[in-house]
Amino acid sequence: MRTWTDLDDFQDFLDAGGMVEADDDMPEEYRSEVFRFIEFHANSELMGGLTERDWIPHAPGLRLKQIFLAKTQDEIGHAHLLYMVAADMAVKTRDEMIDDLLAGKSRFHNVFHYRAETWADQIAIAFLVDAAAFASQRAVFAKCTYGPYKRILRRIVGEEGFHMRHGEEMLLKMASGSQVQRDLFQAALERWWWPAVQLFGPDSPPDDPLLKWYVKSERNEVLRHAYVQKYVPLLHGYGFTVPDDGLHQDAESGEWIMSKIDWAPLKATLSNSGPDSERRLANAVRNHAESAWFRESIGVSA
Amino acid sequence: MTPSHTYEVFLKADGKSEFRHVGALGAADNEMALMLARECYCRRGEGEQIWVVRRDDIAIADSAVTEPNRHKGHRQNDGKLVAEHRRQLREGS
Repeated sequence: MRTWTDLDDFQDFLDAGGMVEADDDMPEEYRSEVFRFIEFHANSELMGGLTERDWIPHAPGLRLKQIFLAKTQDEIGHAHLLYMVAADMAVKTRDEMIDDLLAGKSRFHNVFHYRAETWADQIAIAFLVDAAAFASQRAVFAKCTYGPYKRILRRIVGEEGFHMRHGEEMLLKMASGSQVQRDLFQAALERWWWPAVQLFGPDSPPDDPLLKWYVKSERNEVLRHAYVQKYVPLLHGYGFTVPDDGLHQDAESGEWIMSKIDWAPLKATLSNSGPDSERRLANAVRNHAESAWFRESIGVSA
Repeated sequence: MTPSHTYEVFLKADGKSEFRHVGALGAADNEMALMLARECYCRRGEGEQIWVVRRDDIAIADSAVTEPNRHKGHRQNDGKLVAEHRRQLREGS
């Protein structure tokens, strides 16, 4: 177990490339911020996995059902890994984290507060939302100073890569299909573009402790900008229209410039009052109750 | 209810690689831990063999124990002195 005399001493350790382990006597500020970050990630994977599951019966064809089964297992698996790592930080137990999530006291990613209306929404989620989550997780993995988190992120990022590739393959089929299919995806794109862009969050504050401690390696606005540069041309290439009237290419730099982002929808999701928050949480509560017999039978708590 | 234990999970890929620690899980017994390890850490065949070890059974030595051996330069030799001598010989100085 290592100890540090104060936050400056700890910062020197991190600046020199130090990696923090679960049994280190890390500063309380670091412990609580990193814990909150991992708990948020864990909750998001669980809530995401539950919605993937809902769509398995609707997936058209056996191969897509297999893909969505595997994807559901991946997401729930990520939640499991993250809850283990978070619990080892000794801030809350795993049961306390699950209880808080189900009671609506915790946060999870904005994109899981919206309803997927058609199968095309699942494709938009796989193509746009998974890619945004992938970019943001990869940026955490790049430098992450909390060792246990970095080690499981390697695996999570790898698996999200499969999901993204499945997503683009599904999109390719929709885009090269009938007009009905293209219209379905265009409608889904209109529902998911802004939530995907907002997933990166508002601009990072100048003194963001997660940046200072190298948990995040890049500012939110930089990641968001890079995402837009990549996904606008991709969507155009498939023949779809990005739902942003103000979107234009800068004459000199060639960069895609978006309209000003309205952050009110993101804020609503952070207090669990997004358009679909209530139904999603109720589903999660019901799922937890319905699967209690299984946890009891294998001898694991709540 | 059977108490749950925390297990540490190790995987060995095929070939000559060593077992590597991949993470942890909660399970009631060894059999359950192996099954969950396969489903949590080995879904795409990442390992050919699995070890699971109860965390409580692991004996741990931290840096207080390993510290004395971090200062035994006589056990190593970076070869710099000899390399410098040979370089001078080659250059005929």
